[in-house]
Amino acid sequence: MTDRRLRLAVGILSAAGAAVAGYLTYARYTDTTLVCATGGCETVQRSDYALLAGIPVAVLGLGAYLILLGTALSASELARVVGAVVAVSGTLFAAYLLYAQIVVIDAVCQWCVASDVLIALLAVGCSLRLRSG
Amino acid sequence: MSRRTYAAVGGVALIVAAALIAASVIGTRGGEPAQADQLSPNDAPALLQGIPQTGPALGRRDAPVTLVEFADPQCPYCAQWSGQAFPELVRDYVRPGKVRIIFAGLAFIGPDSDEALRFALAAGRQGKLWQVMDLLYANQGAENSGWVSQDVLREVGDAVPGLDVERALRETQSQEVESQLAAAKDLQARLGVRSTPAFAASRAGGQLAPVQVTSLDAGGITPSLDRLLAR
Repeated sequence: MTDRRLRLAVGILSAAGAAVAGYLTYARYTDTTLVCATGGCETVQRSDYALLAGIPVAVLGLGAYLILLGTALSASELARVVGAVVAVSGTLFAAYLLYAQIVVIDAVCQWCVASDVLIALLAVGCSLRLRSG
Repeated sequence: MSRRTYAAVGGVALIVAAALIAASVIGTRGGEPAQADQLSPNDAPALLQGIPQTGPALGRRDAPVTLVEFADPQCPYCAQWSGQAFPELVRDYVRPGKVRIIFAGLAFIGPDSDEALRFALAAGRQGKLWQVMDLLYANQGAENSGWVSQDVLREVGDAVPGLDVERALRETQSQEVESQLAAAKDLQARLGVRSTPAFAASRAGGQLAPVQVTSLDAGGITPSLDRLLAR
């Protein structure tokens, strides 16, 4: 796949991820009840795991997706390296949070799972971009 | 790109992920707990902030000890236990991940107990049972005087941050609430519980056994929990 197509894919996935993280951030700061089919979104979002050093994980996620969106706009080596680092580390952290939802909190947030899928796909896309350089 | 670049990207990503996970582990295990002794009975939101709640369960799913609390929302001794023992148990046992408490609601006292219980269990579907129970205890009226009105339930619900009150009211007759009421009754019959508050405990996954409390403060139950934790 060409870098141009990969950048398009990374851009679309990052925008989708930013929308999910943006919704979670909005709900957190406006105390809005999340739309939730799995029934565990509030439990997860109000657990200790939803905060990292006092910062909502949703905000960190939003930041990460915006960085990834930024990397999709550039064909430079720096953009490809930064994209891969952010997406791969984000995927590993997302896997840890998914483990926490299933094993510790005993509740699953559908928005988090959607974000997990998106960041995992982004890790693949951004890693392929490294190869295409 | 060179192999060296791949290795560098992988290494940096691992370090970043490890740092994020470490920060999360420290934040969820090592954080300062709420100062339970300074809390008034309806300060549950601060006391319970960040502790996982799923239905009637409070605490980490992988906690080594499970404690079941049989309680009636109209029972004054349950309110006393909730005000005196519960905050300390949450601070010293639940928040650190040692004990998971399961609420087994019983409507021993009468129709107002049933109304209150159903609302609390419905709030449990939103992870808010323990906050609601705390407020119900703090607002107990005369037994079966009709004090558990829709207005009181709305007032209690409105005081719980993040609770969708109308949804909770709608779900008081739901199948899930019925199932939880039936499960608590079955457990009560199996363990021979005849009064509230009453307790049963076990190592995770083990056989529940009744726990006799010697007083309504935390000291009345912590020796039993410590024995189970030491096994």
